[in-house]
Amino acid sequence: MHKVLLLIVIPLLSYGFWLSDEFKGIAAGVSIFLFGMLSLEQGFKAFTGGALERILQKTTNTSWKSFGFGFLSAALMQSSGLVSIITISFLSAGLLDLVAGIGIIFGSNLGTTTGAWLIAGLGLKVNIATYAMPLLVFGVLCVFQNSKQLKGAGYILTGLGFLLLGIHYMKESFEHFETTINLANYAMPGVKGLLIYTAVGIIATVIMQSSHATMLLTITAVSVHQITYDNALALVIGANIGSTITAIIASFGANIQGKRLAGSHLLVNLLTGIIVLLFIKQFGSAVDIISENLGIAASDSAMKLAAFHSLFNLAGVILFFPFIHQQVLLLERIFIEKRPAIFKPKYLDPSAMDFPETVVESVRLESIHLYENAIHIILHTFGLRKHDLQKNDLLKQLIGQNNHTIEYDIDAVYERRIKGIYSAIIAFISQADFTWKMDQSSKLSWLREANKHLVEAVKDTKHLQKNWSRFRTSANQATINEYNKIAYQLVLHIQQIENFRHEIENNELPLLSLDALKAIIKNDDMQMNRAIETLIRKQQITPETGSSLINDSTYMYSIKKNLLKAAETLFLSKDTSAAKVEQQLALNEVEINDVIQAVDTPSMHQPDR
Amino acid sequence: MKIEKLLHKLQAFFDTERHKKRQHVQELKKILLKLKKKERKITHALQQADDDCLIRRYQTELEVIRVQRKKGIEVLHQLKKLKKT
Repeated sequence: MHKVLLLIVIPLLSYGFWLSDEFKGIAAGVSIFLFGMLSLEQGFKAFTGGALERILQKTTNTSWKSFGFGFLSAALMQSSGLVSIITISFLSAGLLDLVAGIGIIFGSNLGTTTGAWLIAGLGLKVNIATYAMPLLVFGVLCVFQNSKQLKGAGYILTGLGFLLLGIHYMKESFEHFETTINLANYAMPGVKGLLIYTAVGIIATVIMQSSHATMLLTITAVSVHQITYDNALALVIGANIGSTITAIIASFGANIQGKRLAGSHLLVNLLTGIIVLLFIKQFGSAVDIISENLGIAASDSAMKLAAFHSLFNLAGVILFFPFIHQQVLLLERIFIEKRPAIFKPKYLDPSAMDFPETVVESVRLESIHLYENAIHIILHTFGLRKHDLQKNDLLKQLIGQNNHTIEYDIDAVYERRIKGIYSAIIAFISQADFTWKMDQSSKLSWLREANKHLVEAVKDTKHLQKNWSRFRTSANQATINEYNKIAYQLVLHIQQIENFRHEIENNELPLLSLDALKAIIKNDDMQMNRAIETLIRKQQITPETGSSLINDSTYMYSIKKNLLKAAETLFLSKDTSAAKVEQQLALNEVEINDVIQAVDTPSMHQPDR
Repeated sequence: MKIEKLLHKLQAFFDTERHKKRQHVQELKKILLKLKKKERKITHALQQADDDCLIRRYQTELEVIRVQRKKGIEVLHQLKKLKKT
């Protein structure tokens, strides 16, 4: 579904870029903004468990403290949008819970109203975009440092810089929209005017990405009597609802908690807006009384508008702040976390427990199911699917072609594809094996071991993936070659195990094929270590890279051995008369070592080529 | 004399131990034949291969089959010797 959407969006965006420079600027602004979000999140993650977490815990451990934190932050930064973005980053990084997050949003809603006072009172608007450049410079400087804290701080500064730069780009591109919106031409009385101007306020804020910009327009217009005071009130309500767009955009790149927070921001601002619209006359009267007490002249519509902005945000806090926990419950119902589909056992039926042979066969089939999943993970790590194993000639080229391999999260896939089945098998075996006679019990014990081998193979793949992702883009070709060799050998090994399965089906001496596989594994390992030593000696790779390669080749050896042991138990039956004869011809450890030596020496019996 | 020979043959036919041994020999011969076919197949694959890794694998596989066949032939000789005695 996402890929289809991408295929639609890319041509649309391209057409838009060709059509309008402003559109290009807006799209670039949104992209920079979202990149800033990612950077900010990464930065906060660096401080998880450290000082920032302690400070946040202390300043947000009650709803009122969170509220105060939000109020102060928004008043200082002069942007509720920025505060909500940062809060979403905190949430996504796991530094905050949703209750504290919503508390901050309430505080920032009220804190941002100080901006209207500044605009109306001092005619001043703090232009946060001017801080973008120094933030980026200092941020990047810190990112290049070795210290984890400095790196984290660097990402935070860079993130903030990109956020501001993104907003700046959007505003620049909308400059001509700002000049074309002439509010004086559209003054409207009554309920109709109220609704239309609220909508205009929402749209203007969504487009300009700043409620401050809409406030600036509104206060300026009302101070020169271009629009009526009532229409201006509606514009302010609209601006307040529209200001949630920043958090909504930010939540696209956030996890479910971030989305819930953006949802809460929209919900509170929307409901407050509706209530204020319903009681607009009462609010108007209250503003008059407050203004009178504060010494604001009845004709000073600009200052009265600032008072209105603060008053209705305060109303929102009073009305909804006591119900934070109920909000959390509601949001958790609306935004349901999608859990990854966990693979479930297919063959383990508790009703089979009375039939020992059936239990053994069920466990064997389930173990094969686990084997298939393990193979899927290992192949996927190197950018392959099982059907690729049939493409003999292309196998080498296919490995690592898929760039998704770098992002392939083996831990997550392990939880999804392995853990559930493995746990079910272990539970099933432990329920069964105490009561039965020796034969089935030992078979189950072998199967348990086979499952253990499969799990170990996946875990070793995870270790191997780390350096495989890192070194496959290395500047040193010799390193890339060696890592590709590791991947290729592993894939060939899986291919041979699959052939081994076919040999069992066709009765083509599977037991004797095992010897060849065992010898190949040992020989590959020996050759690999020798090649690495040669590369280090010839200084084609550094000793550090060499040691990584040796470790990873050991992982490869272990994966191969574990897969082979599992395959031997799962697929091979040693009870047939043919298998008994084959066993007479099977090689022991010493003979396998002799084979490797014979292959290794140049005088081996090579066929004519 | 003829009856004696016939009885001897009948005795051999009904002797399960001997029957098993004969089956064993047959099975072993089949395996050796299969190994020989496999050896030819891999030799052919080795001649076609141009990849170092694959070449080494085929060579190892061929060497394993060679040793297995050698073992098999030795077992077959022993079984035949036992049959004669």
